[in-house]
Amino acid sequence: MQLSSFSSALAAFAALFLGFFLPTTLLQGPGTRLTYRIRIMEPAATGPRMLASGSVSGSLDTEMRLTLRSDSAEIEALFQVAPVGDTVNLGAEFFTRRRVARSRRGLALWEQDTYRRLVRLTWSDTARVYPFGSPPRSSASRASWIELVLERDFTGGETRPAEEQLADSLHDFRLEAVVRPRRARVTLNLVRGDTVSGPRPMDLVREEPARLVQLVLGRRVTTLEVSLVRPAPARSVRDRVLALDADVVCLRVAPPDGSRPVGVLCGRLTNVARRLPLPTGDTLVATLAWPGPR
Amino acid sequence: MTDVTGGGAGGTHESWLVQIDAELDGELSLVERAALAKHLATCSHCAGARASQLEVRVALARSAGNPHAFVVPRPTIRAGTLALWVAVALGSGLLAGWLAYSRWGGPGGSLEDTRAAIVVQ
Repeated sequence: MQLSSFSSALAAFAALFLGFFLPTTLLQGPGTRLTYRIRIMEPAATGPRMLASGSVSGSLDTEMRLTLRSDSAEIEALFQVAPVGDTVNLGAEFFTRRRVARSRRGLALWEQDTYRRLVRLTWSDTARVYPFGSPPRSSASRASWIELVLERDFTGGETRPAEEQLADSLHDFRLEAVVRPRRARVTLNLVRGDTVSGPRPMDLVREEPARLVQLVLGRRVTTLEVSLVRPAPARSVRDRVLALDADVVCLRVAPPDGSRPVGVLCGRLTNVARRLPLPTGDTLVATLAWPGPR
Repeated sequence: MTDVTGGGAGGTHESWLVQIDAELDGELSLVERAALAKHLATCSHCAGARASQLEVRVALARSAGNPHAFVVPRPTIRAGTLALWVAVALGSGLLAGWLAYSRWGGPGGSLEDTRAAIVVQ
């Protein structure tokens, strides 16, 4: 009983120490690089055999999307981490499809399922993910599993996302880094007929107060208020669970008096031009792209 | 006319055999035929005797030169044999199902069993 209260006090002291005295920049600062290291294993007669491997790395808010397909099942998962001191909470949103039968007309019938898993582990621990259910009870089982190791390194600000992947051709396996942009490079032009204003590039931060921008077309100056806003949640369950629209941002365009917006342009950061007709008869052309590394 | 009540429902097999003979000769009234049919439905012995009588008459008719005379063949599978086959089929189906379940598992199982699991080593 006494030992239990002593260990509780020790844990509370450690939590206080971690929370108040350890600089958070040391644990989660911009110089920290997170790496998800993945190996897909299969049981074999001589021991486990590696089918594929890969890694995804980036800043601490980088997420990893994993896709694994076979003839009868599709597993898609989005892994996220939340560092807590020397441990890390690993969360995974799963979206799975399994072939269950054939219809009377010979078409495959699939069932799909969405669920979430959460475990806590220390850095460099190995987590085994059994994508087709609980760990097999008998050694004769042929079910494959995924080994996931979370690592963090202290790097000098080099936190651009990176992907590496090695797989044999028999398995459909894909790893993707998912990064939600905090900033976007926006280039604006004003177009009327065959006259185009000079490009007006700018870096916008999401949810930042709106910015005034002046575009000159001919001798006329048009002033607009632009801001980067969060897009509406995805309608499909799969898009929402797997964050397939993570790199979509929306540009809200309003007149300078802050009244009703003229329109909202949404798109991926792919440097593709999108057009918005203005009440003045001009057309606003905006391209959205990833900002350059800082 | 034969006395149905005397040798009928409460009568012996011999009296029913006489009735059968009379029926095949077309000598029974409608009421007597009904009483005989009721008895044949419950008495396999008399039903067999009637079938034998019919076979004999058909054989006699054929030998007398009537080529259209024929008799419906008796069912070769008896009720007991049929029941035995049904029991064997049910038993083997159950055995095959049990073997398949122990080898490959059931068709569904609980949903949670099919979901991914994360185990920290």
